[in-house]
Amino acid sequence: MGTRVSIDPITRLEGHGKIDIFINDKGDVDRAYFQVPELRGFEQFAKGRPAEDMPQITSRICGVCPMAHHMASSKALDDLYKVQLPSTAKKIRELMYNVFFIEDHALHFFYLGGPDFIVGPKAPKAERNILGVLGKVGMEIGKEVIGMRRELRTLMNDICGKAIHPVFGLPGGVSKVITREEQQRLIEVSKHAVEFGKFCLKAFDDIVLKNPEYVKLITSGTYTHRTYYMGMVDADNRINFYDGDIRVVDPDGKERVKFAPRDYLQHIGEHVEQWSYVKFCFLKDVGWNGFKDGKESGVYAVAPIGRLNAAEGFPTPLAQQAADKYFSTLGGKPVHYTLATNWARLIELLYSAERMRELAADPEIDSSDVRAIPTEKPTEGIGIVEAPRGTLIHHYKTDDRGLITDANLIVATQGNLARIALSVDKAARGLIHAGRVDDGILNMVEMAFRAYDPCNGCATHSLPGQMPLVVSVYDSKHNLTQEIRRD
Amino acid sequence: MKTLVLGLGNELIADDGVAIRIARILSQHLKSRDDVDVLESSQHGLALIDLFSGYDKAIIVDAIKTGAHKPGSVVTMSSTELSAVEAPSPHFTGVPEMIRIAQDIGLPFPKSIQIVAIEVVDQSTVGGPMTLNVEKAIPDAVAAIDALIYTTTSEILAS
Repeated sequence: MGTRVSIDPITRLEGHGKIDIFINDKGDVDRAYFQVPELRGFEQFAKGRPAEDMPQITSRICGVCPMAHHMASSKALDDLYKVQLPSTAKKIRELMYNVFFIEDHALHFFYLGGPDFIVGPKAPKAERNILGVLGKVGMEIGKEVIGMRRELRTLMNDICGKAIHPVFGLPGGVSKVITREEQQRLIEVSKHAVEFGKFCLKAFDDIVLKNPEYVKLITSGTYTHRTYYMGMVDADNRINFYDGDIRVVDPDGKERVKFAPRDYLQHIGEHVEQWSYVKFCFLKDVGWNGFKDGKESGVYAVAPIGRLNAAEGFPTPLAQQAADKYFSTLGGKPVHYTLATNWARLIELLYSAERMRELAADPEIDSSDVRAIPTEKPTEGIGIVEAPRGTLIHHYKTDDRGLITDANLIVATQGNLARIALSVDKAARGLIHAGRVDDGILNMVEMAFRAYDPCNGCATHSLPGQMPLVVSVYDSKHNLTQEIRRD
Repeated sequence: MKTLVLGLGNELIADDGVAIRIARILSQHLKSRDDVDVLESSQHGLALIDLFSGYDKAIIVDAIKTGAHKPGSVVTMSSTELSAVEAPSPHFTGVPEMIRIAQDIGLPFPKSIQIVAIEVVDQSTVGGPMTLNVEKAIPDAVAAIDALIYTTTSEILAS
């Protein structure tokens, strides 16, 4: 082993995306590792606590997608207490979950295609940030995004108790009915959200798709992996974020398996590597065959590209139309290009807005029948939702009193981790030759994981100050030979 | 003139909750001040942008793990000392970028943001206890923030 290059954030963000690149004596990449931190002690912390506290506790684990944890946890409680939700309760949950999805996905507009895309992957680093993006797309768009988010957050606040840490999912239903007045507001905001979704896709079209360079980058081999894909689908195999079965398609787009949330352990395995604390998910049925793509490798992808590939389509017309264009532009289904994620995310945003509009107008939505009281003894419960970053699994076991004896979470990014490791390794091997490591190359290596928007700890938040990176190059005797700082 | 004190962190996770503890003490201290609001959040990055809107001045309290300071050190800095850098996602957007975005899109935003950061040790153990040096730093941090608020008030009275 020759030289070690590490891309290492030095603030509290340490571990949020640390890349170690080992360079051999010829100056080529021997192996690149993507390291992430692990949240420790969650199971211990959960043990002995009343199961009904879990939607509150788990939503506090994560500052990024608390609503996703709250929802997966509420669904695990439904299963734990073997209770069927009244139809209105289910619709309210799905409605508010889609409101959350629009809000979360909208934030990404600022990162439309990633700063790398908009400003150009090899642009000077000083311009390769969000300001460069806004400079190119126009500040009016920024205003629109902030305004849209504010409307959505106000709704979440009023209907879910809190926008950040919702207090509305209960075993068997929700804690609050939707009033006529709230329904009217939901309808109004949903109309705005649909327009917003269309507007985002139009901007993506103008800025990214009309530039052949960007399309070439999206489809370049460096960021392409032929893996399996996973996502939640409804009874007709169409995308649903809140409820359904989990469908997996193979690298040719054929269904490999479809399973009910209760059976997830039969299908999803967790692989352990010596160099990482985090477990890598894989398909048990295919098996773990290392960090490889192809049909023989159990590596799969979740989140927007995973979901679009795993489903047969969207149940709403505008999103379906946008998805048709996505697949035809990118050479058919499945799309194996990691960098297509941002496009897929905007199509999902439009779907969520359309689904919000449908559910907000549902005649049942203001019914007062929003809770079924559990009467069964709790034993074991599993709840799965699609979080913005992928399939999120909550699994609890309790004693007769409903106190947690065992808790297992598989967080969304874990589903993508093996593919992220694969991407980083492939990008490093493809881009670094003869020991030449500069800022532009490292940026392109980082792009391999940025598109996934990895969020691993489900634990830490960051000082919103800066994200400096230090790239250290060591020789085979571990002497520091080069340091590239980004701060 | 309105000042926001924003405590960031996760109270379930060992030292990560230090700023939340500080914010709760300050909200008691500053109860009678209607020109100061104390908020807490576990969110980060661009998601926080709305919280700042409408304030003239803001103080962010947060845990930081740099390894450059002794655990429990209280470090005060101004947002102007932070440079805008490339961030991988909206969740990592920095303060300077937030200020610039807010200015550019015409959002009423504090002109200056000060940051009071506490160097911590353990940010990854759920339900873990706060480490001793970090716990001991709480009164220092509270005093530092009180002083920043006092200075702000004095500046206004003097002007």
